[in-house]
Amino acid sequence: MSYFFQIVVSGIVVGSIYALAALGLVLVYKSSRVANFAHGQIIAAGAFITFFLTVRLGVPIFFSFLASMLITFFLAMSVERIFLRRLIGEPIISVIMVTIGLASIFDGLIYLTPFGSENFSFPTFLPTESIVVGGVSISWTQLVGVIITFVLIGCFSWFFKKSTVGISMRAVSDDQFGAMSVGISVPRVFALAWATAGLSAAAAGCIIGNITGLNFETLHAFGIVVFPVVILGGLDSILGAVVAGIIMGLIQQFASGYLDGNFGLNGTGDVMPYIILLIILLFKPHGLFGIHEIERV
Amino acid sequence: MSQNRWLATGNFFTSYKQEQRTFFTHLDRTIFTCFLVLLFGWPLVFEISNKYMLVLDNILIAIVAVMGLNLLLGFAGLISIGHAAFVGIGAYTVASVCQVIGENHVIVTHFWPVLIVCAGIMGAIFGAFVGLPALRLKHLYLAIATLSFQMIFEWFIQFMSFFNQGQTIYVGRAHWFTGQVGRSEHYLFWYYIILIIVVVLGFGVRNLLKTKYGRCLVAVRDNDRAADAMGMNPGLTKVYAFALAGFFAGVAGALHAYLYRGVGFDSFTLHHSVAYLAMAIVGGLGTLNGIFWGPVAIKYLDLQVEQFSELAGHYLTYAPNVATALKPLSFGLVIVLFLMYEPRGIANWWRIVKSYTKLWPFRY
Amino acid sequence: MKSKTALIFNALLVIVFVFAFTLPAFAGKTYKLGMSLAITGPTSDAGNPYAKGSEDWFKFVNETDYLGDGDKIDCPIRDDQYKNDITKRFFEEFLDDEILIFLSYATGGNLALKRDFEEVQIPVIPASYHEGLIVDANYTFMPVATYSENAVSLAEYVVDKHKGTDTPKVAFFIHPSAFGRGPLEDTQKAVSLGLGIDIVEVVEHGTDLDNTAMLQRLESKGVQYVICHTVQTPVATMLTDAQRLGVTATSFGEKGKLTFLGAHYTGGSDLIALAGTATEGFIWADSYNLTSENNEGAKKQLELAERYGRDDKAANSHNYGAGILAAQIATEAIKETKKAGLKMTRENIYKTMQTLNFESFAAAGPVTYSPTERIGVDVQNIYVAQDGVFKKIQSFESQYIQKVRASR
Repeated sequence: MSYFFQIVVSGIVVGSIYALAALGLVLVYKSSRVANFAHGQIIAAGAFITFFLTVRLGVPIFFSFLASMLITFFLAMSVERIFLRRLIGEPIISVIMVTIGLASIFDGLIYLTPFGSENFSFPTFLPTESIVVGGVSISWTQLVGVIITFVLIGCFSWFFKKSTVGISMRAVSDDQFGAMSVGISVPRVFALAWATAGLSAAAAGCIIGNITGLNFETLHAFGIVVFPVVILGGLDSILGAVVAGIIMGLIQQFASGYLDGNFGLNGTGDVMPYIILLIILLFKPHGLFGIHEIERV
Repeated sequence: MSQNRWLATGNFFTSYKQEQRTFFTHLDRTIFTCFLVLLFGWPLVFEISNKYMLVLDNILIAIVAVMGLNLLLGFAGLISIGHAAFVGIGAYTVASVCQVIGENHVIVTHFWPVLIVCAGIMGAIFGAFVGLPALRLKHLYLAIATLSFQMIFEWFIQFMSFFNQGQTIYVGRAHWFTGQVGRSEHYLFWYYIILIIVVVLGFGVRNLLKTKYGRCLVAVRDNDRAADAMGMNPGLTKVYAFALAGFFAGVAGALHAYLYRGVGFDSFTLHHSVAYLAMAIVGGLGTLNGIFWGPVAIKYLDLQVEQFSELAGHYLTYAPNVATALKPLSFGLVIVLFLMYEPRGIANWWRIVKSYTKLWPFRY
Repeated sequence: MKSKTALIFNALLVIVFVFAFTLPAFAGKTYKLGMSLAITGPTSDAGNPYAKGSEDWFKFVNETDYLGDGDKIDCPIRDDQYKNDITKRFFEEFLDDEILIFLSYATGGNLALKRDFEEVQIPVIPASYHEGLIVDANYTFMPVATYSENAVSLAEYVVDKHKGTDTPKVAFFIHPSAFGRGPLEDTQKAVSLGLGIDIVEVVEHGTDLDNTAMLQRLESKGVQYVICHTVQTPVATMLTDAQRLGVTATSFGEKGKLTFLGAHYTGGSDLIALAGTATEGFIWADSYNLTSENNEGAKKQLELAERYGRDDKAANSHNYGAGILAAQIATEAIKETKKAGLKMTRENIYKTMQTLNFESFAAAGPVTYSPTERIGVDVQNIYVAQDGVFKKIQSFESQYIQKVRASR
């Protein structure tokens, strides 16, 4: 039975990391209707910046964590300003392809640094033992990761619900023309959405980097892995991202915990999310919490 | 009808029949014929290295695949990030025939045209199947559904021992009337075969777009509800668009299998799907000649960057990394810059040139 | 007078030009090779130092006139980004350039080109040590012991060192592809031929962030040894998880704990870079000489790296050594062919390579090819991770792999 609970706990841990990674996508989509395929690269960039500051420049990890969040904040903001701003109102395929192109550009830029093709790991700053409760164990890194995730998600939810800027962002996502007519600067909101997404990406990058070690291929793959998560949750719901993240984490862990090795199956953890996604999309085309848009001729 | 059948300065159609013609003026037809003759004739005059022959064959195969993608994306407005998986379905159709009856079985080596068509049909079946979610999904959700198909395809191929777990399955050498096509003429032989297929399919697409079936694709793209109101069946049209795209992709996949004499899963990954999308966009979505420009431009760029980075490698001490980083960088930049400054692709330049020469030397 | 100076000046110029253009022709021949590997993209963490190793060795050969008579080796290194199609294009280009030996990289690319290698009869030195590359193939010269040999040796090592009378229970942790599954199948064959281990479970990993459940499952099934065959990142994740769960054995084969072992691509300084202290106790089978051994060979490798200004990370990577070895095999083949006074053609190179024998500082043992055997270095070192470096325990040569090969 403790095996079952272990899988549940692992699933929640993995899931909340997915949720954090997915958060960035949702933030951007919510306000500007852009699906960002370069999110994985920003995640990787955040992780490498933190690593660079901590190891090469000797900044304490907590500060470099904050600093990298700040840097990706401006990085994502400038990406929006330079590339995406021009594409407002273009068909969705153009926007998707621009972010794919951006992903490729980031790839190229990261290959220019030593980080593109080498392996690193963060210095350990947390106890390496795990916390064991009733046969179920969780590592400090994971626990801290989960806590950071939920704190951040809490902050973002509060920000969207209560703060003036957050409300204006929601207004823009609801109706751009309406928002403009009451004096909200739509471009500023877009920039802010991207910037906060960048911030959350850096946080996700650091947490993932602490768990898996720093390898560019592994890190930027997360940009694709989180897509089933955001689609499942509905592209424009923060709550959806959290719930879907945890559902996907559980699905993965249960698949690799119970399916792998039985029935001649293997590596199902990687493919299961996509299969479940397809099935769910057939029944709920806008995900679990997505808003069903009404189309008119 | 204008008096001059060689140069038409405007639209002088007086019947629908005239509008449906493939070539509007004699000049168009002459230029096209000359171009075809050139394409077929030049290998007889010039000797070209295997490397470039392979590149050319590759471009032609990409053209076949992009034809399908452009129909789907440009004409029917359905986004697919899984096109390489459809190409893979075609290739693996050939591969599984080889697995079952042996790579040098007479069916594989002699009846390859049949196999290529079969691969296309297989692609169409899978296309229609994957197109089913399109009945309910739109835009980004559809894009991700096709992305899922891509991922599931990759996992499946790597998992099944029947498909050699994604490692190369060999395909035998094809035979021609003169006997087996040897190594020295392999690339040239396939150049001609693929060129013929490209021409045939190109005409097919051109004519399709003039029929009811082609026009309903465009109608559904522009507004599927409006199309519904006008008596078209948008659901069926979408599935049919996916099947069509699958067919082209399947043919491309089979050609790829024969050209490389083997099928391995890593020619059909997400990266290739993205590359096909890039080709379609750089060429120009929803245009016929864009189908040809896109693959040529992207593959040419790839080759040039490679040569440039090798040159740069000689002068930079920190060589390979800098040099090879240029490849994704330039690929990304081309996509982004095209979308930002020329969203209608290279086909638009062609259109501008054409409309300019049409009235030359007179202007408005 | 004036015209005379001009004439002399012109004559001098002509002489200078003639010399400038003809001198290189006197300075010996240039032999062309070709190399294609993944410097960017998947597995570039291995391909990058590998490329550096080969590049440096060829530079060294050219600068020190290693071949004699001022002969030079010209080996363009191309980045195929781990894509078979690009590898194929490079290969065709190299063939157009009439190269003598092809230095290739990935398992997939080699398998895809296997037919071509046989057809055009070109000797190939791969960076992938997949057993399938030398099955039904004559022209592929494996530099070191194959992955299968690594895996079977590790299994044999487990049998050797296992304390207690029971059959050791082993789990496999492998890459979800043919690269991972091949060695597993060969080990299973060895087991059916009498190797005394019990393969309890096979885990094919995905991009897992958490292996807790898997490790607990292995524990509960009584597994004591985990043999890994994949790349470093997943192994690193698993090792860190094992460390914090406290299931990592502190000594080899500790009861109730897990001892981790791995083949060529799982270990090395990259693993330590990723997993840190969790690597302690990891057993690694590899045919390369590590710089942490601090022996003569290690010094030579470090010297070479220093000569060409490589950073510590590249210099100490076993992939750097692997790159050097591949380049050395090609160089020695050319040198021997030259010594024998044969014409420099692919055929003659192939003939010499069949009997090529030499000592390399980068490898754990001598490179020995024979007309019936296509594996260069048969000896493997068993290393253990201790205090942040891999230390050699012993040399090892697998017995069962011969039986497995014979049964094929």
